[in-house]
Amino acid sequence: MGKGGLVMDRLSDKYLRARKIPSTACSGCGLGQAHKAMVQAIDELDFAVNDIIWGTSIGCAGRQTFATWQGDNFAGTHGRVYAIARGLRLAIPPEMKIVLTVGDGDAFGIGLNHLLHAARSNTQMTVLVCDNLGYQSTGGQYGWTTPPGVVTDSSPYGMSDPNWVQPEMDVLNVIKAAGATFIARHVSMDGRALVDTCKKALQNNGFSLVHCVFPCITNFGKNALGSRNAVNMFNWIKNHAAPLGEEEDNSEIIWRTGIYHDASNSRAEFSQAIRAQTTEIQGRFKK
Amino acid sequence: MKRFLETGNFAITEGAIMAGCRLFAGYPITPATEIAEAMSAELPKVGGYYVQAEDECAAMHIAVGAAAGGMKTMTATSGPGYILYADPYGWAIGCEIPMVVLNSQRVGPVSGITGAPGQGEFYNSRYPTQGGNYETIVLAPNSAQEAMELTVEAFYLSERFRTPVTVLADQLITDGLEDISVPETDEEKKAMGLRFMERKVKEGPDFYPATDEVDVPPVVLGKGTGAMCSDWTPTEEGYDIETVEAHHKHSYRMVYKIRNNRDIINRYEALFLDDDPDIIAVSFGTPSRSVKTAVKKAREKGLKIGMIRPISLWPFPDEAFSRKAKYLSVELDYDGQMVREVQRAASSDSEVHFFGKCGELPTVAELHETFDKLLAGEKLSRKGWEREAW
Repeated sequence: MGKGGLVMDRLSDKYLRARKIPSTACSGCGLGQAHKAMVQAIDELDFAVNDIIWGTSIGCAGRQTFATWQGDNFAGTHGRVYAIARGLRLAIPPEMKIVLTVGDGDAFGIGLNHLLHAARSNTQMTVLVCDNLGYQSTGGQYGWTTPPGVVTDSSPYGMSDPNWVQPEMDVLNVIKAAGATFIARHVSMDGRALVDTCKKALQNNGFSLVHCVFPCITNFGKNALGSRNAVNMFNWIKNHAAPLGEEEDNSEIIWRTGIYHDASNSRAEFSQAIRAQTTEIQGRFKK
Repeated sequence: MKRFLETGNFAITEGAIMAGCRLFAGYPITPATEIAEAMSAELPKVGGYYVQAEDECAAMHIAVGAAAGGMKTMTATSGPGYILYADPYGWAIGCEIPMVVLNSQRVGPVSGITGAPGQGEFYNSRYPTQGGNYETIVLAPNSAQEAMELTVEAFYLSERFRTPVTVLADQLITDGLEDISVPETDEEKKAMGLRFMERKVKEGPDFYPATDEVDVPPVVLGKGTGAMCSDWTPTEEGYDIETVEAHHKHSYRMVYKIRNNRDIINRYEALFLDDDPDIIAVSFGTPSRSVKTAVKKAREKGLKIGMIRPISLWPFPDEAFSRKAKYLSVELDYDGQMVREVQRAASSDSEVHFFGKCGELPTVAELHETFDKLLAGEKLSRKGWEREAW
C-alpha cells in the first residue's frame, strides 16, 4: 500500500463510516481523489465530525459520497440540495458547516437556478462539484461540461452543444456574477493544490464552490477516449489541465485550475444576516 | 381571546405562529400571497425567519431543509405552485419530516382564474408527489376561523406522524373577511379544541424500524446524533440500499403509520343524518357553506335531506358514508373528483350524483332545484354539467 492509502486509512477512521469505505464506485473512478481532498482539508483545519453536516445529491457524486461522513448526512432531491441547505442553515448552529458533494449535472444543469440563489444570498455551504464530464450514472450522456466533439451515448456523432467551461462562457463567471464569495477549479489529481483550495473554501463563511473534474473510466473513458484504461484517462485529464496563468500557449488546455475568485468573508453570510435582522426587529417590538 | 375582522390569510398566519412555526418560505402567488406578507411582518417579532424563494420548488425545499434541522416550518401557495412542491413534498414524505403546506385553491388547471375559488387539487393533494407507497394527511377548512384551527392541527399531526400535512383551502377562505377569534391563554386554546406538540429529536444514528407507530421522534440534523436522511430507499439505519425488501419495510411505515391511526386524524361534520335522509349532500371547503344553508332550508320545507362535510379529506372519512342514500357531491370543479371517493366509501346500494361549478359557489336555489330533481328520480349522474352545453 502506498503512502496515499495510509493517509486515507487515517482519515477514514477519523471521519468516515467503515460501512461505506471502500465505496461502490467503479474500479478506476477518480471521485475518491476529490472526496479525499475535502476530507483532508477538513482534517487539516481541525474540524470535528459534529462540526460538519454533509449533504449530497443524485448521480455518481451523490450516491458514492452519501452517508460516508461519520456525522450527520443528508441526500437531497436532484438539483435542490442548495435550497435544502439554505433552510437547514437557519436551523443549525451558526458555527456548524455544511459541505455538499454534488455532480456537474446537479450544479450546472438541473440545480443551477437554486445554486445561483444560494450564491446570491451568500449562504454558507462549501459545494464540491465533482465533475465527471456528463451524466455517467445513467450510462454516459453528455452534460454541460462535456468537451466539444466528444462522443457520448447521447452525442453519438460528437458533442456539438456548446459547453460551459469555455473561457468566453465559463459557468464560474456566472456563479461569480451571482455573488459567490469563493470559486475555484481543479482536476482531481491536483493533490496538494486541491486540498489547499478546499481549506480556503471551508474557511469562507459564505458560499464557496470548488469545481473539480475527475475521470470516469466506465462511460466517458470508453465512449470519448475509446478505452477503459484508467491511466490513459488520468493522463488525458492531466494533459488538458494547467494552472491559471500557465496555459496561454497551449490550445489543448480545457481546464484552467486554481482560485478564480476569493472574496472570502467579505460580505454577510445569509443566516447570520437574517438572524441579526431578526434580533434587531425583536428588540424594536419589545420596547 | 382576541377578535378580528380579518382574512383567512391572516387567520392561517396566526394559527401557524401559535403552533410554533418559526420559518416560512414562500413565493408570491394569488390568492396566498398575503400569508407570505403577514409572515414576513410577524415572524421576526417572535424570533422566526421569512425566506422568499426563487420558485415554489425552492420554497418548500427551504422549509423542509429547516424542518430537517428541527424547526417547525411552513409554506403556502395556490395550485400552480402546489405542483412545484411535488419534488420537495416527496423528499419530506420519504425522509419523514414534519412540516405544513397550505394550498389556497383557485380555478385551474395552471393559471386559470387567479381570483376565484376552485377545488381542483382534491386528488392532487392525495398524491402530491410521484412514486406511490405513501398515505397523505390533508385538512380542508370552510371558514377563516377553521383555517386557523386546522393550521394548528396540521402542525400537531405533522409532528405526530412525521410527515408534511396540507391544509387545503380555497380563494374564498383565504381572501374573504370574517370574524376570527384568536385564543390567547392555554385554557382558551384547549376550549377551542386546539392540540399542540413540540418537536422531538430522534436519538441515535438510526432511521426508523418498519412500524406503524406514531409519535416516533423524527430525525433531526445538526444535533450530533449521526443522523441520516435521504430520498433513497433506506435501511433501518438510514443507509441507501436498492433492495425490494428494504423498500417494502419503508413503504409499510409510510402507508400504515397513517392508515392504522386514522382515528387521530379523521374528522367530519354531519348534519340531519339520524332519520335516514333521502339525499345526503357531500361538500367540503366554502361550497359546504351554501350546501349547509340549502340543506337547512330544505329541512324547513319538510324535505329529508342531510349533509356530510369531510374535514379531513385524506385519509377520506369513509366511516361517515355507511348509510344507504342518494349522495350528492357538490364541488368547485366540473370533473367531479370527490364523486369517486364517495362512490367508493358509500354503501353499495347507494346512488352517487354530482353537482359541479367552478370559480363561484352554488346558490341555494340551484341546490334546491337539484334536490327536487333527485327526489323526483331524475338522475343527474356526472353528466350534470351537460346542461351547460354551448
